[in-house]
Amino acid sequence: MLTISLALAALILPGQAPAAAPVAAAPARQVTGLSIFPPDIQVSTKRGKQVVVVQASYSDGITEDVSTKCNLRLENPALGRIDGQTILPVADGNSRVLANFGGVAAAAPLAMTQATAERPISFKLDVMPIFMRTGCNTGGCHGAARGKDGFRLSLFGFDPDGDHYRLTRELNGRRINMALPAESMLLEKVCGKVSHTGGQRMTENDEYWQTIVRWLEADAPIDPATVATCVAVDIFPKVSVLNGKGSTQRMTVKARYSDNTTRDVTHLALFLSSNDASAKIATDGLVTAGDRGEAFVMARFNTFTVGSPMVVLPKDYQFTFPASVEANYVDTLVNAKLKKLRIAPSGLCTDEAFLRRVYVDVIGVLPTAEEYTRYMASTSPTKREELVDELLGRKEFAELWVLKWAELLQIRSSNQVSYKSTLLYYNWLQDKIARNVPVNEWVQELLGANGGTFKNPATNYYQNETDILKVTENVAQVFMGMRVQCAQCHNHPFDRWTMDDYYGFAAFFSQIGRKGTDDPRETIVFNSGGGDVRHPLGNRVMAPKFLGGVAPDVAGKDRRLLMSNWLASPENPYFATNLSNIVWAHFFGSGIINEVDDVRVSNPPSNGELLNELGKRFTDYKYDFKKLVRDICVSKTYQRSTQTNASNEQDTRNFSHAAIRRIKAETFLDCISQVTETPNKFPGLPLGARAVQIADGTVSNYFLTTFGRATRDTVCACEVRLEPTLSQSLHLLNGDTTGQRIRQGNLIGKRITDKKQPLDIIDEVYVRCLARRPTEAEKQKLVALIAAETDKKKALEDVFWAVLNSREFMFNH
Amino acid sequence: MAPPCAGRARRMLIVITLACLAIGLAPSAAMAVAPSLAGISPRGVQRGIETEVVFSGARLTDAKEILFYAPGIQVSKIVVVNDTTVKATLKIAPDCTLGEQVARVRTEGGISEMRTFWVGALPVVIEKEPNSDFLVPQKVPLNVTVMGIADNEDVDYYAVDLKKGQRLSVEVEGMRLGNTFFDPYVAILDAKRFEMAVSDDNPALGQDGMTSIVAPADGVYVVQVRETSYAGNGGCAYRLHIGSFPRPTAIVPAGARPGEELDVTFYGDATGRFMRRVKIPANAGVGYRLHAEDAGGIAPSGLPFRVINLVNAIEKEPNDTPATATLATGALAFNGVIEKPGDVDCFKFAGKKGQVFDVHCYARRIGSQLDPVMSLAVMGAGAFVANDDAVGPDSFFRVTLPDDKEFVLTITDHLKKGGENYHYRVELTAVAPKSTLSIPKVALYSQERQAIVVHKGNRMASLMTVSRGDWGGDAVLAAENLPAGVTMTAESMPANLDTIPVVFEAAPQAGLAGTMTRMSAKPVDPKLAAIPSQFNQMAEMVINAPGQSIYWKTEVNSLACAVADEVPFKIMVVQPKVPVVQNGSMQLKVICERKPGFTAPITVYPLFNPPGVNTVGSATIPEKGLETTMAVNAAANAQVRKWKSVIIASAPVAGGPAWVSSQLFDLEVAAPFFAFTMERAAVEQGKETEIPCKITMTTPLPASAKVRLMGLPPKVLAPELDLAKDTKELIFKLQIDKAAPAGQHRNIFCQAIVPMNGEPVVHNVGITELRIDVPLPPKVAVAAPAPMPKPMPMPVVAAPVKPMEKRLTRLEKLRLEQAEREKNMNK
Repeated sequence: MLTISLALAALILPGQAPAAAPVAAAPARQVTGLSIFPPDIQVSTKRGKQVVVVQASYSDGITEDVSTKCNLRLENPALGRIDGQTILPVADGNSRVLANFGGVAAAAPLAMTQATAERPISFKLDVMPIFMRTGCNTGGCHGAARGKDGFRLSLFGFDPDGDHYRLTRELNGRRINMALPAESMLLEKVCGKVSHTGGQRMTENDEYWQTIVRWLEADAPIDPATVATCVAVDIFPKVSVLNGKGSTQRMTVKARYSDNTTRDVTHLALFLSSNDASAKIATDGLVTAGDRGEAFVMARFNTFTVGSPMVVLPKDYQFTFPASVEANYVDTLVNAKLKKLRIAPSGLCTDEAFLRRVYVDVIGVLPTAEEYTRYMASTSPTKREELVDELLGRKEFAELWVLKWAELLQIRSSNQVSYKSTLLYYNWLQDKIARNVPVNEWVQELLGANGGTFKNPATNYYQNETDILKVTENVAQVFMGMRVQCAQCHNHPFDRWTMDDYYGFAAFFSQIGRKGTDDPRETIVFNSGGGDVRHPLGNRVMAPKFLGGVAPDVAGKDRRLLMSNWLASPENPYFATNLSNIVWAHFFGSGIINEVDDVRVSNPPSNGELLNELGKRFTDYKYDFKKLVRDICVSKTYQRSTQTNASNEQDTRNFSHAAIRRIKAETFLDCISQVTETPNKFPGLPLGARAVQIADGTVSNYFLTTFGRATRDTVCACEVRLEPTLSQSLHLLNGDTTGQRIRQGNLIGKRITDKKQPLDIIDEVYVRCLARRPTEAEKQKLVALIAAETDKKKALEDVFWAVLNSREFMFNH
Repeated sequence: MAPPCAGRARRMLIVITLACLAIGLAPSAAMAVAPSLAGISPRGVQRGIETEVVFSGARLTDAKEILFYAPGIQVSKIVVVNDTTVKATLKIAPDCTLGEQVARVRTEGGISEMRTFWVGALPVVIEKEPNSDFLVPQKVPLNVTVMGIADNEDVDYYAVDLKKGQRLSVEVEGMRLGNTFFDPYVAILDAKRFEMAVSDDNPALGQDGMTSIVAPADGVYVVQVRETSYAGNGGCAYRLHIGSFPRPTAIVPAGARPGEELDVTFYGDATGRFMRRVKIPANAGVGYRLHAEDAGGIAPSGLPFRVINLVNAIEKEPNDTPATATLATGALAFNGVIEKPGDVDCFKFAGKKGQVFDVHCYARRIGSQLDPVMSLAVMGAGAFVANDDAVGPDSFFRVTLPDDKEFVLTITDHLKKGGENYHYRVELTAVAPKSTLSIPKVALYSQERQAIVVHKGNRMASLMTVSRGDWGGDAVLAAENLPAGVTMTAESMPANLDTIPVVFEAAPQAGLAGTMTRMSAKPVDPKLAAIPSQFNQMAEMVINAPGQSIYWKTEVNSLACAVADEVPFKIMVVQPKVPVVQNGSMQLKVICERKPGFTAPITVYPLFNPPGVNTVGSATIPEKGLETTMAVNAAANAQVRKWKSVIIASAPVAGGPAWVSSQLFDLEVAAPFFAFTMERAAVEQGKETEIPCKITMTTPLPASAKVRLMGLPPKVLAPELDLAKDTKELIFKLQIDKAAPAGQHRNIFCQAIVPMNGEPVVHNVGITELRIDVPLPPKVAVAAPAPMPKPMPMPVVAAPVKPMEKRLTRLEKLRLEQAEREKNMNK
């Protein structure tokens, strides 16, 4: 038996010709543009300055940092001076910064104000950023919840007032020395003059050291309430395509404040790269290209994290994008990104591969032998589109998505939620999806639900989880793809969310009333009209504020209704894109933002234009989810082969080839049940029910658990585990799912009784399981093996078993 | 104010005594042990016919009669099949009330638990599987009651033929049958499988469902029944009524005066609203249900209908604002329907300053979907009292009217919902005191010892609880309609207690019989004599998650009481001649009489402990023994008073344990005769010390008492001392062995036994601590050999001698020691 299994394992994925990577000679490169960053330069007070970056772009899309070779100068040199790339003030006035390179000139407006005036020191604007930049307030150091070595700072500076108190008042103010600022414990430790576990973080007399001394000399003041707050941060240049290993690009960061001033914070921002192997960024903002690939370089300042994409290509890479048919906007946008990356997509998959792929993805079952024959026999030029339309109309399509949503909504029974509630909730969801109710409508109904958990089952959403903060986090994660948990205790370190955002959003869920009714199993969820969320720092009552949106007038209104109406609407920029991303991830194995529920500034989409367009279309379709699925399934991108070429073999994020995906536990069990003709039996469901129909998350069996069925304990997309494990293989090899089902279903026995020839039976097994006929090589090997066996039934069952154990069966490809 | 739940108040006793010549009755020895009734089958019968019903359980061999709580059923024959099965032929009167009937079986040994069965109007059809396929349903005629089982994942389909315009109503009895946890779901489907009407739960029926349709065309219609989550089992029996009967879901007004004839409007039937003229029986209680009836038949279940002496007012829409409020002149019962979402109903009435009303909004309690929110305002002003969920989802407040004004009462739904079955009835009643009697449960959700079984020539006791509603004071218990030869004894219930023991005694010549006894409690104060009382007893039939929630329960208002065959033993408490003092104890002596040949051990249990008194959980009179004792302890705060108490006992007789009780005996709790104040002591191992104890006499001692120190650690000895009438102080001299455990020993007290009337009065008085130290190591002698011998005799030199006469406290001793030590050091 093992011989056959291995033989088949080696034979997976036949019939897909590898696409050649088209390479053509490129014309000579020319400078096509020159940009000065930041595009408008403002320097204010004598302490102001601005790091300027000049980027040249070439005809082939490559960019180059030419800051040092572009003759950077001021139109009116009397206003300031240039020190390397830094513009420093001399006198007030407006002028321009000029540069020229490769025959192209560029200019940026410059405004010098208060050039000779001193700026008063500010604790929040000048001192606090230093603690983040030098790493003092990170979680591993003094930013830890209990501080470090007796000294605590708020993590990433979320609580400046508290930090001021701890610096100036704790330990009787011994951390600072007003008389001799330079001899403050704070400075002596940080310069390594006395023992400091964190080592030397700055040097005496450097810029940061001087700022702190200046603050101490001014008697360590706390800022007045009127001090400006940072409202936005920009990183420049906005996009860079680096030419080969070792090429560099300097970044510059500008902060905008509530008083309409700006400041260069390049020296205060913390730089990070999402991919150090391709683009490593130094503390001063200098990016150095590494291996071919993509990176997102980020600057963190205040509560803002901003990023800029970097593409690193091999040096002087010559590439021509192959001609390809584009079925719709999906292909256009995917190809546009691939062109930027100089990646050639794979060719289209075979009809057989498409048939199996689209069946498993869209309806979660395998094509039957009849469906296979009918489809293969069709000569319609649009037969793939026709098949997609046909499958979208089938009931199994809805069931598959009910399962998906049931996981995200954590539909499961517990001590608090009866099985009856669970079943009613599941049926409610099933009804919405089966009737193709627009997603925004049912999401609004769900999140704004009031009534009994039996009479209005949508209210179970607030019964499954009763903790206000957990509900807040779940709503953000499921419907907006955001993990805001961090902001419960401190500002999000890798995203824009502050504690104010978190508790402001939580305030929408603070007035959920719950009470019992006649049936002990039922709970009535209602708007209690009272109750607030308070900020843990200062105990302020938080006014409800949409996450990333406005603070609506909630007086006398049901806060959840307001929230749900905003959340599932075009006003919420995250809803449509997040749902589109979830749908996309289902068909491609990974999201455009991956993981789908990890949307954050520091985890940008691999193709933002595509994601935005999908979101826009989804909104335009009035949230008709089937139309979105159709757009995806009829695109050539979805129909690409899994075979890679030289240019796209490393690509995992840009959909240049199809991904090989393990079939999800429930669907896989249904497929096994389908091909072996053995019905499933699950508690609470009739014999023959499919695993995708299980309503209650707590119902499982050994197979489903082994293959990673979501327990619905959390809303995390990571609950569904798709990685292959040893126990899965062992279960398929030795467990009771394959061998026993083959015998129980007796498919082979029936075919033998019907006087079918072994080759025909093998043919049928292949079509049923793999949606293809065996190759000639396979036929030869299998016929030879069967011929050697006296018990033909057993031998054929072994073939069946081997097919079920092949990777080709277990994966969707 | 207790909600009126006397649903079965009108139930009265119908006892059908049968001659002993019942066929098949084995002339076996009487068992004298109460029977057990596990089930009645079938679960329902049709009225107007005679039918055989099987009562199954245990110890039924000598079954004598079936006791019912309501009229309308006669037993024409009882056949004992075996010890576990009795077949009774029941004749159900044509006018027997439809719905649940409660029955008990009486044997010579006593009375069983109560069990229920259901009376319907329609002929019964039995389910025939397979009927689980919509396409192959079981064909049934219209107007039948199908008795079936909803198995696991089972869906049962029944097809009926209807003519266009004909009404099809269905109602299912599932949870209400009380068999097991079974939440049924019922639906009416058309031939194309479209659901025309569904009903899962209904507030008037609990988890059971009811609905109706009018056939839009001639054809076959299918009724579907299943467990709501497909989680049925073999025990999930149902009675599905399929007929042309009216099946309204609401009624307005939902109440009337006893004997009143009035027009009521039924809502929610498929044919629409309809009005009926009905006459309410004069003796109907507040738990009365009104069954809708027309040419199509009678609804299997009635709608709850309040019968109370209040004049009705019925809402007249529009009445959404105080300005348009329905005027309720002279009426104190407001009736209406919250007909559509957002509907608000207002009633106005003239009130007098100082009038006090209990205002109940009956909604869920009368089977309405409404979750009422009710408020009361002076016309033109804001509400001054409001309530949402005082009684389950229903509203209630007690209000004193602040002025001679016009008042507006407003009712709406909490979630602003509304519909045909959102009816309500608000009753304004003057505050009326009442008493409710019950027997506390022996075990949670158990019917054990909830009926009184007294053996001939013997006694049995039970606790009786009286909840006083809106009154206080002593109460006297009374029992009417006890079986002949049975008497009830109880002292009057003190004002600060709500539970006392009562003893039932059957004369030796009393005949074996069972009755439904009416228990009552009357205030001792003659001014309160008119306060009504009612006995309530509840049997929880279906218990399930979450927690141990009650899904179906049956309530009755009489106490089943029977004289059973005699048992071969009897117990008595030897009346103690001394009191038990606070913080003291006594041994209660229980003696038994045995019939010749009866040797089994008898276990005795205390039934009642006065406040602050505790009795040992049980004691046993050994095999062939005649007596035992039970330790009784009184806490320091036990109420000083003479109490009546009782001991119950059980012993195995043929068939199981039989229960009897002692007579009511006096148990006096008294204050201690004296108080002890003891000092604390500290001593080293191997030495001696004293514990002095000051005595304060409060009661002259009848004789001198013996006092012992209790709670001493091992290897510490103290002599027993005598306490005479005039003793002011006792000094215990303690000898501490070298091996006595070192440490702080707390809870050392004195036990003083005062002889009185030849019995001991045991006092536990005083409390102190003893600290035992390990002696200091002898190295001190090595370090300073010379001065050491000197300080040693120091305590015996002249100076300390004097204080020794005046005994030193521990603190004084320590100070002295320290002073000596310092003195020596200075040398």
